[in-house]
Amino acid sequence: MGVMIKTVNLTKRYGSLVALSNLNLEIHEGDCFGFIGPNGAGKTTTIRILATLLQPTWGEARIADYVIGYQSRQIRPLIGYVPDYFGAYEDMVVQEYLEFFAAAYNINGAHRAKVVRDVLELTDLAYKRDAPVDGLSRGMKQRLSIARVLVHDPKVLLLDEPAGNLDPRARIEMRELLKELRRMGKTILISSHILPELQDLCNTVGIIERGELIYSGPWTEIVRRAGGGVVVHVGVAARQDLAGALLAGDPNIVNVTHSNGYMEVTLRDGLSDYSFIPEKLIGAGFKLTLLKEEEANLETAFMRLTKGVVQ
Amino acid sequence: MLGIPQYLYRLLPGNPILLRVVSLAGRRKRDLAVRCIYLGLLTGIVLLAILTGGSRYTGEVSFADLTKTSARIFQQMSYLQLALVALLAPVFTAGAITQEKDAQTYDILLSTPLSNAQIVLGSLFSRLFFILALLISGIPIFSITQIFGGVAIRSIATSFGIAAATAFVTGALAIAIATFKVGTRRTIFSFYLGIVVFLVGGLLLDRVEALHPVIGRETTPSGQAAIDPQTGREILLRAKTSWLTGINPFLALRSTFGEPEYTPPDLGKLPAGLQSWPIGWYLTRPHSFYIAFNFALSLLLTIPAILLLRRMAQSTFSLKYWLLQKLRLRQGVSGARRPRYVWHNPVAWREARTKASAARAWIVRYSFILGGMGGAIALLALFATTDSAETYISPGSYSPGTRTLFIQGIGGGTFLLSESTTITLNGRPVPPEVLTGRYKVAAPPTRERIGNREVLSSLALVDFPRKIDAQTTRRYLLGLILLEFAAILLIVTNSAASTVTREKEDGTLDLLLSTPITSRYYIWGKLRGLIAFVLPLIAVPVLSVSLFILHDLIRGLGGADPAFRWIVFPEALVILPAVLIIVAAFAAMMGMHMSLRLRTTVRAVMASVAIVLGTCGGLALCGFQILTSLTRAGSELALAMASFSPFTVVALLIDPYTAAAGQFDTMKPETIVRGRWLVLAFSLLAAGIYAAVVHAMYVSMVRNFDMTIRRQSR
Repeated sequence: MGVMIKTVNLTKRYGSLVALSNLNLEIHEGDCFGFIGPNGAGKTTTIRILATLLQPTWGEARIADYVIGYQSRQIRPLIGYVPDYFGAYEDMVVQEYLEFFAAAYNINGAHRAKVVRDVLELTDLAYKRDAPVDGLSRGMKQRLSIARVLVHDPKVLLLDEPAGNLDPRARIEMRELLKELRRMGKTILISSHILPELQDLCNTVGIIERGELIYSGPWTEIVRRAGGGVVVHVGVAARQDLAGALLAGDPNIVNVTHSNGYMEVTLRDGLSDYSFIPEKLIGAGFKLTLLKEEEANLETAFMRLTKGVVQ
Repeated sequence: MLGIPQYLYRLLPGNPILLRVVSLAGRRKRDLAVRCIYLGLLTGIVLLAILTGGSRYTGEVSFADLTKTSARIFQQMSYLQLALVALLAPVFTAGAITQEKDAQTYDILLSTPLSNAQIVLGSLFSRLFFILALLISGIPIFSITQIFGGVAIRSIATSFGIAAATAFVTGALAIAIATFKVGTRRTIFSFYLGIVVFLVGGLLLDRVEALHPVIGRETTPSGQAAIDPQTGREILLRAKTSWLTGINPFLALRSTFGEPEYTPPDLGKLPAGLQSWPIGWYLTRPHSFYIAFNFALSLLLTIPAILLLRRMAQSTFSLKYWLLQKLRLRQGVSGARRPRYVWHNPVAWREARTKASAARAWIVRYSFILGGMGGAIALLALFATTDSAETYISPGSYSPGTRTLFIQGIGGGTFLLSESTTITLNGRPVPPEVLTGRYKVAAPPTRERIGNREVLSSLALVDFPRKIDAQTTRRYLLGLILLEFAAILLIVTNSAASTVTREKEDGTLDLLLSTPITSRYYIWGKLRGLIAFVLPLIAVPVLSVSLFILHDLIRGLGGADPAFRWIVFPEALVILPAVLIIVAAFAAMMGMHMSLRLRTTVRAVMASVAIVLGTCGGLALCGFQILTSLTRAGSELALAMASFSPFTVVALLIDPYTAAAGQFDTMKPETIVRGRWLVLAFSLLAAGIYAAVVHAMYVSMVRNFDMTIRRQSR
């Protein structure tokens, strides 16, 4: 798979404020790249540069090997941009809205009618074709935004917070739709604050803070790198405080904290075998009620890697 | 402080909404700049008047001259002050219509312990604060007129009173619109347009003689009612001020200057029916009526707003939507409808179809078309309708073979014509062939006996008197066309100025810019859409003059009247559309330029309207000044120069006998022909030059589009 999106030392300044600093990114064709970071970290700026809406102050950004700024005309038919808001025209119904953007991509005649019909089916909006756009629910508007960027069948989708402010059902529907698009082979760059969903959807992620890319690569790797020691949840039938003290004295255990009815036991870095814990507790006469390794995830990795500093 | 004093203190001096604005006002650079420009203009007028006045005196300055100069300075400053207040008050107060709602502070304000009166008055005075501060800052300059004398302090107070009343009523209207939820972001323009049309329309309508109240009848030295020999009707005496003087600030102000040609009538000279209060007050002291009426109106608009503010905010009822639904201009709650076909150029489709079909645009467009065409047809009907006459000739009355003429209304009315019979039509000698037409016999024909036959020695004929005569028709038509022209300019400017900013505000611009649509395609699409929207409006004045030209063609073909004069010159069919389209294109370009450069619709609309009005107003002023000098000098060069001013060209096509009496002298037909050729040639040349300017603006806009938009991207 070739590189579809590449940035080299991408920098954007607004006066004295550095929104992006030497961002180096590579996203391969067919990847789903989750872009995460605190508010004001530079995610939207990056996406707007890739959508040809902003000029970088320094550095280079390429899509399908076309350079943004110099070959933007060639890039625009290849991308589909969904901003973090819904751009609604007044007095337009759903079908007109899609036909409007199809015409903007020079799709006309019978082909346009077919494309619009297809994307309405794909996004499950066919029954709303005659409904005014500004009267749609937020979830439907987001689905319509996705439908909008699909009319010209782009290779790359740039999605800025597509699930922001959606209710649980709309969020699940959006996630399923994006999975379907990934199966269709689209390269997706998605920014979101809902990390469990990104973990479910994306194969690679990038963490950005204060305009600097902290990490970029497979999410499993970031979790591993940010992981530290394995955390095991341990429960005993009685005398939890004594059991805690017993475990805390073990040199393989770094930390023991008491949670709601169980203990969180952090192992020494590099140690993944925790079979000694039940042996030790049972040997001391404790009745074991819970033993479970905490699942390492993107949320914990994100919290460990970022400092929460906003520009 | 307790009770009423505290309530009153918190109502205005201690009103937190007002205090916030007052404390910020001193720090805003924009406010400072506007104030400096205003005072600079006032100072400029004073200096200019003193310098130009002084050059005439050549060293010998009399007190009479100084007082005259002082009075002139005062007049000019008063007009400028009022013009600026009339222009700025809507700008500063219109924001009240939506600003609180847009900034989402409205609900927060309503949830505080602030009373309705505090919110309404705080909002009103905070928006008027800038205008009032502007007025106060001008007082020292106005005081300069007191050095020379000639201006009573009472006149200065009246001038300030008229300006302040104008500002207050504008602000109260904006607050009422905001409170009663009849306005949206788009209402701001309608509000502005309404005020401009009211002010300009009032000034134009003031010229209509019929709107000046009849205060008596002219009498002959013998005490009988004087009769107009042309129309055969009594000659009416009319007041110099009109029925509109008391409600239009500029007319009310003019009535205070003691100009002999615009003095209100004395109460004693009014007919008994017009002397009663308040009509007598309205007609005899229009300035004081204006001030009192507008302050009272402001109060009337503010009190319901205070009483109903929170109740209206709680209500989900919207008068506007209710009306639109009743008029079937808006679908029900679901709003579902069949999708329309989208053009290949979606930007043009959006401009022309979706915007034009919006209820407000639909109402504006069809009201304009119906109003404009209705006015023209009514005017034509009045002009075409003739009064009856007792003695007249009609087709068939004259027999060329026997040279006999039958005159209706004279007993035994068949007369013989000889070679020496003098026939005049509308005061000019004409051949007997004219007698095949239908004319009124102006005076009893004189007869002489030749042998034993009675022969007509002279016959004076006139056209049948019309409901309104040709000159009045021209004046009304010119007023109508100029008003339509101004309205078209305002509508085009508003549409163009909001076209890009609205996309910025709605967030749709980014979506379009990430598609393959190029800047040229985008701008051209916008312009094409604007043209499709505006062309039906431009067609209204063109069709109006076409009606008159068609009527004149039929009228001219029927008779051999040497005094025949076109109501509108037929070349107007070429010049008028060219001028209207080019000027509308300029307004569209200017609007789009501002729309690209500025971020918000309100700012873009206000800036472009000010520029377009300033440019066209300036050109009109120059054009009419040149024509005034032409009347004295008869210079053809001046006529050529005046053809470069669009509004002046319209006047030269419709009412040249008033606009350029020196060149269009009815007694010298050859000068009229030369004048018409000059106007045709130079107005088309001007249209060509303006077209080149517009094209250059278009090219520049396309070239700089990306840079301008990207600079605003954040």
